Amino acid sequence: MAPLYALGCEGSANKLGIGVVSHDPATNKTRILSNVRHTFNSPPGTGFLPKDTAAHHRAHFVSVAREALKTAGLTSPKDLSCICYTRGPGMGAPLTSTAIGARTLALLWGLDMVGVNHCVGHIEMGRVITGADNPVVLYVSGGNTQVIAYAEQRYRIFGETLDIAVGNCIDRFARTLNIPNDPFPGYNVEQLAKKAFFEEDGVTKREPVLLDLPYAVKGMDCSFSGILGAADLLAAQMRKQDALLASGGTLKEGEERITPQDLCFTLQETVYAMLVEITERAMAHVGSKQVLVVGGVGCNERLQAMMGLMARDRGGSVYATDERFCIDNGIMIGLAGLLAWETGFRTPFEDSTCTQRFRTDDVHISWRSD
Amino acid sequence: MAAAAVETVALEHLPATHTVLLALYRNVANASFLQEQLLSRNADFEYAFVDASTVVSRFQLLSAVYKAVSAEMAGAMRTPNVHSEMVVSLSSNNNISEAYRRYGVQPATKDVVVVKVLISREGSPSSLTPEDVEKHLETHVQGDSVACSDEELAKVTDWPKLRKYHKLNGLPWIEAIKDEEAKKKELEMLIVSAMAMRGT
Amino acid sequence: MATPEPVAAIQPPPPPADATHEFPLPPILQRSASTAELITQGAEGRLYRTTWLAPDRFCALKHRPSKPYRHPTLDARLTRHRILSEARILQKCRREGVAVPALYGIDESQGVLSMEWVPGRPVRVEVNEYLQRRSGKYPGRARDSVARDEEGAAPLVGLMRRVGEAVGKLHKAGIVHGDLTTSNMMVRPWERNKKTGPINGSHQEDDDDTEHSLEGEIVVIDFGLASQGSADEDRAVDLYVLERAFGSTHPRAESLFPVVLEAYKDTFKAASVVLKKLEDVRMRGRKRSMLG
Repeated sequence: MAPLYALGCEGSANKLGIGVVSHDPATNKTRILSNVRHTFNSPPGTGFLPKDTAAHHRAHFVSVAREALKTAGLTSPKDLSCICYTRGPGMGAPLTSTAIGARTLALLWGLDMVGVNHCVGHIEMGRVITGADNPVVLYVSGGNTQVIAYAEQRYRIFGETLDIAVGNCIDRFARTLNIPNDPFPGYNVEQLAKKAFFEEDGVTKREPVLLDLPYAVKGMDCSFSGILGAADLLAAQMRKQDALLASGGTLKEGEERITPQDLCFTLQETVYAMLVEITERAMAHVGSKQVLVVGGVGCNERLQAMMGLMARDRGGSVYATDERFCIDNGIMIGLAGLLAWETGFRTPFEDSTCTQRFRTDDVHISWRSD
Repeated sequence: MAAAAVETVALEHLPATHTVLLALYRNVANASFLQEQLLSRNADFEYAFVDASTVVSRFQLLSAVYKAVSAEMAGAMRTPNVHSEMVVSLSSNNNISEAYRRYGVQPATKDVVVVKVLISREGSPSSLTPEDVEKHLETHVQGDSVACSDEELAKVTDWPKLRKYHKLNGLPWIEAIKDEEAKKKELEMLIVSAMAMRGT
Repeated sequence: MATPEPVAAIQPPPPPADATHEFPLPPILQRSASTAELITQGAEGRLYRTTWLAPDRFCALKHRPSKPYRHPTLDARLTRHRILSEARILQKCRREGVAVPALYGIDESQGVLSMEWVPGRPVRVEVNEYLQRRSGKYPGRARDSVARDEEGAAPLVGLMRRVGEAVGKLHKAGIVHGDLTTSNMMVRPWERNKKTGPINGSHQEDDDDTEHSLEGEIVVIDFGLASQGSADEDRAVDLYVLERAFGSTHPRAESLFPVVLEAYKDTFKAASVVLKKLEDVRMRGRKRSMLG
């Protein structure tokens, strides 16, 4: 049997991603033929609004899809088995815009549609790329924070955020500090955190200062809104110090001079320690030694390093991908959709809607039987 | 006066560098002399002289000893030496002078538990041997040496005082225990737990 | 059809060099010949069975080792906070008369908590063995749920009652356990002989040959995720976790869970609000299925 091909369309947040993926049911080999992405970035200090993001996706859908098909080098769109699109979770307007694009292609070429859960897309992509067959999954992005493990044809959520997502916490703090959104706020926070070390010629001139932030883990769940609030307060204190020093004043005796570098360093150290802790608890719970990190926050090098240290102590490894795969993309949607399509799953045209809330454990993982 | 019986106690999880010596004297006639030696920091009297009426059992006593020695090893003592640390470790609050007053020897103290730790450092053994200590106590403590056993200790325990010190009155479930032995065991555990929490 | 050039995939990481990573013992277990046996190893830390002060007094020593992934300042802060919190909760339970292990010693800087060793076996083991004996005796019932009034059910009903009472007392004392499973409750055998019998764990090794039964006092253990509080929501989650534990670990005994709740209600005055909350938590739980 020849490999099957699918086109995946992702637009649940500010990235529009379209790509072509192939999967051979006989050999279980997956190949990525194209992975095109266009990101909507708002100016520093602002977040991306649903309306503007949706407009971005509509404006770029045709060119991104064209490039994805061209790069993939398919002779005809008819070689595709299905058009896969993100059904949710995510922001309503961008989801809908992308779904309209996907429906148009499906009608144009007379292809089946497959609506895909965004989180399941991340997980399947991560498994294929890293070769982790049955890991505990930490899914961390701007919209989601979940610790997931597979059991009986479901990706079960063992722990999750009780309020905002970790990526949202970092993005919003980046806005507080007026850090650019390009390429993405978390990347810039990470670069600032690295500068907290003040290295010169490979020698650390000053250890970064770990400021006081709350630490909010409850069993396998965690919470980030209190941390964001506390970090914002520290940032406000820093600005007061800036103003005081600019007007020739001096800090109170024993008062630590707060820097953006230390703030970013502290925020990262705190929230990533929380994520590693709940992941470790889930690993102990299900007896797994593999951990897979997916989602946009998953490409943070410090998080990957911390996760690696934890996994090493448990005699296992961390599996992580780079920004081509862990940041939202079309191929993950194409892959998860294709796997479902192979088991007979179809999304009828009249049901090809979107939903902002769509839990990972709502999806029947029909293609796994372990 | 009977020959002083000084017992060497092996405590679990203590390194071989530390030797714990234990003795109990009833009807001590020179308690004020003993207290004065401590107050004047007489180097020959590096002992924990404990008012035996504040001791419930060997377990509780040794809990304090172990806590003090652990603090000594960790360099985390809150008092001048390991012996004063033991007296303070019998308390469940952080008031050090009150702890000396309550648990240490006082002029009116009748029965005294003596604890001594011999510590050898960096290959040089302690300058004293258990025999030296026994001889020294025999000379200077005027009292009846008895075995420092649970039975002997129980004879002198002042429960009302201890219950007040450790805030153990007004616990209805304790009062509801009919069996006196069982009640004392529960109280002992509460005291030991409270001692463990002290200083945290 | 043209064969396109695939996008390069990422190589999986090499296996760790030291796959059989040895965990460091806490200093207390390194400095003498006293023996220690590793009992459990969770994400939080490790539990050793060792001795305390005397060779015939057993102790449960919990070690929360420092986590290399955490910033040292944060690590020290968390370890200290958690050891002290657990110690305070044990102490509070003891004072309120809730059967929990007595506290022997704390070394928060090293992340070590030493507690009374509770003899006996977990409720999980006792209940499963009871169910096995029942299947042996009445093969016809092997797959049926236990009925409250069936022959031979009295000891199990009694145990479930004592479990409910233990949880009621715990909540009454203002403590929420946070991980209330049948593995975190021990059945401590009643003292057989009051005069020479063991009290508070200061006694000989538990003999595996003795006849184990459901008779004994329920002792709640492992307060590593516990907190002080009186939120009905948290209490309801405690009950829900316990209910799920019965459902997943001993499905045939789940039919008797109402006995647990009845005893809980008889022991704890504010129970009715909690039981109402439990309904909500169950509804949500079905949606969330976070317990896997």
